[in-house]
Amino acid sequence: MQGIVATSLIGISLGAQYALLALGFTLIFGILGVVNFAHGGFYVLGGYIAYSAISFLGMPYALAVITAALGTAALGYLFERFLLDRLIDDHLATLMLTLGLYMMISSGILITFGPQSPAFAFPLTGVLRAYGFYVPIENLVVLAVCVAGIVSIYALIYRTDFGRALRALADDRAVATAQGLRPKVLFPTAFALATGLAGLTGALVTPILSLAPHVGDPVLATSFLIVILGGLGSVGGATVAAFLVGMVEAFSAVYLGGSKGALALFVLVLIMLVVKPSGLFGQRARGA
Amino acid sequence: MSRPALSASRVGAFAEIASIALIAAVFIVPFVSDNPAIYSLANQVLIAVTAAFSVYIMLRMNLMTFAVPTFMAIGGYTTAVLGLRLGVTDVLLLGLGSFLVPALFALPLGALVLRLTGVYFVLVTFVLTEITQLVLFETPAWTGGSNGLIGMPVVTFFGSDLGDNRAVLLVTTGLALAGALITAAVTRTLRQHFAAIEENELLAQSLGLVVWHYKAFGFAVAAGVSGLAGFALVNMLLTAHPTSFSPLSSVNYIAYAIIGGKSSMLGSVVGGALLVWAGEMFALRGEYSQLMFGFLIVVVVLAAREGVVGTVSRLLGRIGASVKSRPLDPASLPTATESQR
Repeated sequence: MQGIVATSLIGISLGAQYALLALGFTLIFGILGVVNFAHGGFYVLGGYIAYSAISFLGMPYALAVITAALGTAALGYLFERFLLDRLIDDHLATLMLTLGLYMMISSGILITFGPQSPAFAFPLTGVLRAYGFYVPIENLVVLAVCVAGIVSIYALIYRTDFGRALRALADDRAVATAQGLRPKVLFPTAFALATGLAGLTGALVTPILSLAPHVGDPVLATSFLIVILGGLGSVGGATVAAFLVGMVEAFSAVYLGGSKGALALFVLVLIMLVVKPSGLFGQRARGA
Repeated sequence: MSRPALSASRVGAFAEIASIALIAAVFIVPFVSDNPAIYSLANQVLIAVTAAFSVYIMLRMNLMTFAVPTFMAIGGYTTAVLGLRLGVTDVLLLGLGSFLVPALFALPLGALVLRLTGVYFVLVTFVLTEITQLVLFETPAWTGGSNGLIGMPVVTFFGSDLGDNRAVLLVTTGLALAGALITAAVTRTLRQHFAAIEENELLAQSLGLVVWHYKAFGFAVAAGVSGLAGFALVNMLLTAHPTSFSPLSSVNYIAYAIIGGKSSMLGSVVGGALLVWAGEMFALRGEYSQLMFGFLIVVVVLAAREGVVGTVSRLLGRIGASVKSRPLDPASLPTATESQR
């Protein structure tokens, strides 16, 4: 019983991290129609920005995390505004552009910081003990920040004019533009929001998991899994799917061992893509 | 309309003949040089080009595939298992196996995934490469798991061993040539069909083209060509290991085809040769080659959509036209069928 509860906590904590990542990914696809291959790159970049801010500038961790989120958001904004925006309607071209950016980010990090993992540890350590259960404090902090992040995203998308504008653009760009919404301003902002989320997650999670130039690859694969499962472009679907994937990963890692759980997930997603490309919650397949 | 189509076909034929001739020319290398560095570079270029052909075939149908490493792995492991378990060493039999097994595997798979287009196809093929890795690690009885397969017997050609450096390069060249011939034959024979699918699949279907027929066939052939590259890779490394077929290696093959120029076969040859050679120049600092690939992809997508071959041939056509002082001949364009979206 204790094992199950502990594993569930790991699953929820993983799920919250994945949700934060996948929300950014799915927003970009839903609003801009872009599959962002550089998403894992922004995650790693967030980790390295936070690490540099702490080690070289002596910033406190919380401030470093905010710097990482803002830094990755700024890069995302510039990338969308000056490169991606020119070819925004060509799905394969934007895909190639983000792929190119990903290669540049990850090799840039490799060149700057070298292949070895830097010493980047979470500032709070320790274990919380209650009712016979043990919970690492860092996981709780990350979980709290992730949940706060997810709630803010929901509030932003569903409760503000900015969110309404983004949803209108995702729904029908021509009509939304005719109503006076400006994709030239909103698209880079949305992209920046999403990459900032990836950077935030990276800064939060890499001190606990690991920080190395290549850790973006599995993150990209997991983001893919989640958004396909939840339906490309669906915010609610991505959130549910993220927790689902987190749970499956936690339980299969503890009880099955190896990568059988991951294999099962990937096969599930493959079947999902073929049978219902719109995912668990996606309403319609976007014209792609 | 017939004249531009005809001349485009002529340009395509030139590119195909040039590609085949360039690859065949590598047969001379083992007889004029015994520099192992050149052998290694030639092997790598040819494997890259063969894998890029696979991407090229799929791009004919407006499908961008990430699944090349998957089929390379199937081809490579097929030959390793044939050699280790069944003692098959004949290079022709192994080559046939490395083509047919991935191609046959692609048929049922294609029935599922070819229903998807655009971004969804990209995603499903990316997921396939991840599954490939996991399957390779999770089936140690067949694939050696994380140790891979080592100690394959030396391949033979009618009884004579092909074990030394020189022979390995000859095998790779032979496989690349086979891949080029198959690619040329298929894309030439089905040029109109593929072009119709690329332009507008729905329209092609409503005009009576049995679209899935040609897509499945193209997918199977592309898988087979990847398998040949996989065999060449395993034969060169003397081992079949999951890391040789990593998911992100597919990005390199796509980069070769697109940076070289996706509208002709020569693009894959030029792209593969240029980029592998450039990567080799930075051999000591491998990370710089990834940086360069990424940068070049961005440049090509933004500024030179036709890639190296397309841009060069357009410039040459323009120079030729101005020398003869007549308007630009459509023949100088890469192909008349490339859709400008």
